[in-house]
Amino acid sequence: MTDSTILEVQDLKTYFFTRRGAVKAVDGIDFSLKKGECLCLVGESGCGKSVTVLSLLRLVAAPGRIVSGQVHYNNVDLVHCSEEKLRGIRGGDIAMIFQDAQSAFNPVLTIGDQIAEQMTIHGSIDRQAVKNKGIELLKEMNIPEPDRVWDSFPHQLSGGMKQRAMIAMSLSCDPKILIADEPTTAVDVTIKAQILDILHTLKEKRGMSLIFVTHDLGIVADIGDRAQVIYGGKSIEMASVSEIINNPGHPYTKGLIACLPDSSTDSERLASIPGTAPNPIDLPEGCPFHPRCAQVMDICRHVVPKQTIISETHTVNCHLFG
Amino acid sequence: MNNSRSAESRPVRIHGNRRLFLYYWNRTKQNKLAIAGLGFILFLILLALIGPFFTADPTHVDFAERNVPPLGFSTEESIYDIKTNAFTVNLIEGTWKHPLGTDGKGRDMLAMLISGARISLEVGLLATLIAICIGALIGVLSAYLGGWWDNVLMRFTDIMMTFPFFLLLVLIIFMFGPSLTLIVLVIGLTGWTGAARLIRSEALSLRTREFITAARALGASDARIVIRHLIPNVASLIIVMATLSIPGVILAESALSFIGLGDPSQTSWGIILNDGQKSLDTAWWVAVEPGIMLFFTVLAFNFLGDGLRDAFDPRSNLDAR
Repeated sequence: MTDSTILEVQDLKTYFFTRRGAVKAVDGIDFSLKKGECLCLVGESGCGKSVTVLSLLRLVAAPGRIVSGQVHYNNVDLVHCSEEKLRGIRGGDIAMIFQDAQSAFNPVLTIGDQIAEQMTIHGSIDRQAVKNKGIELLKEMNIPEPDRVWDSFPHQLSGGMKQRAMIAMSLSCDPKILIADEPTTAVDVTIKAQILDILHTLKEKRGMSLIFVTHDLGIVADIGDRAQVIYGGKSIEMASVSEIINNPGHPYTKGLIACLPDSSTDSERLASIPGTAPNPIDLPEGCPFHPRCAQVMDICRHVVPKQTIISETHTVNCHLFG
Repeated sequence: MNNSRSAESRPVRIHGNRRLFLYYWNRTKQNKLAIAGLGFILFLILLALIGPFFTADPTHVDFAERNVPPLGFSTEESIYDIKTNAFTVNLIEGTWKHPLGTDGKGRDMLAMLISGARISLEVGLLATLIAICIGALIGVLSAYLGGWWDNVLMRFTDIMMTFPFFLLLVLIIFMFGPSLTLIVLVIGLTGWTGAARLIRSEALSLRTREFITAARALGASDARIVIRHLIPNVASLIIVMATLSIPGVILAESALSFIGLGDPSQTSWGIILNDGQKSLDTAWWVAVEPGIMLFFTVLAFNFLGDGLRDAFDPRSNLDAR
């Protein structure tokens, strides 16, 4: 682990044990997060992005279980450390914001109660100081009338306000890492822009590291420093954002880029990748992408591709580069 | 007014830091029967608390004034006179001294009913408190812990459910002798099963909600999640269940007393009722008065419980009325 690395994930595997067999939602993910950078986890629905970030904090509920792997933070392995130690890190050093702020707030407690609760859990006792800091954070999120919002119940706020209040809550203990699980999916475009702006400012101002889960390459280009492409629960490509956009290596990444609407050409239809995401119960042998891959070779059907280093900042798991 | 708007327009009316309590109070307030029920219950509580200071001693026996009818009623008493060897008929009229009459031992009915109100409320509230606490704890834990724990706790609930609790009561009272404490304990310790199941099903749907995961992501411990996040979310259910189970408990105590298994040292409504049924032909009021009290008390709790259930139910369109 180098100096600037703050979080390192090695060979993370999270399976869900169901009657129909083990669902391999996350099946070998590796990445590292540097101080102050924004790492985007990109992939289509069901590829295991959300389960990956939930696994980082061991939040996967039964029947899901982390079957192997390590998550190193501050010389602590989050996968194997005690529940008590983990509770201190959750919300303290590593905070998380969720896709749907509506359901991520407890409907019977006020926003203030919930922000204060987090600070109380992590050792703040002075109620007035807690409230001052909470209102300060709400103000920082550009929430109008923060005093009123502090005493409001979640259902009294609009979706965008709730999402920003949730970011304020996650920041209340000054986390080193913020995990954002598709925080812009459930809001409209203007709110989305505001939230991205807020997250960007936070990263710049506080030097916070950000793990951003999304399926939207537009957001990746906007906010990300590096991107990790996930397919079928596996890491398939990791590179700086400019390399991912301009020089994608993996055929799947190429396909994703090709799907973006391009205003320079006036083609009527958007491109798409043929086929559907693999069934995680019955992942294809070899490279998980091979049934949909246009450049499929014989070896792809049998051997899982190893990570190949293309440049210092670019690795890809594909036999084309092997 | 149109119905679809009401759900959205609601939050606008409660703004600032007025708490959820006010919101639910406003909703409950719209149900006139519930408010009447609440009024009656408050009146009863007041009566039970301060009534005994103003009434006669409910245990004071005075055979000279036995079977006095309530105020405004009169009754005839035939007395056999040895000297004339004939029956003389005495007309007894209700007096202000005993506005609700007296029983066959000359005890003041008003005083007895007020002391009975205290006992009935005590039994109803205490037994329900015990039952609801156990039910909520088992229900919430069962839902939250899930898996093996859920199975064990729910099978235990099933076993308790199939237990004929009235027979158990009769048996225990037969073994240990009748006492109010025992009755409260037995009703409380056996009456939680329905609550446990309902609360479990409610908590089960909450457990998978994202805010529970979010709370864990904040570093909340299991105990904190159960106490701060799960229980407040099932509180409405707990309140409604409690309100609706109080009358059942009051009736159970009365029924026990009525069949002679009540605590004879206490003048509960059931015990007065039991006394009164023996003299229904000569002094009907002794049985009727506690019966009326029981009837209205049970009705009041049921109305209040129904009103609360409607108020807590987000799907009921109270504004539309």
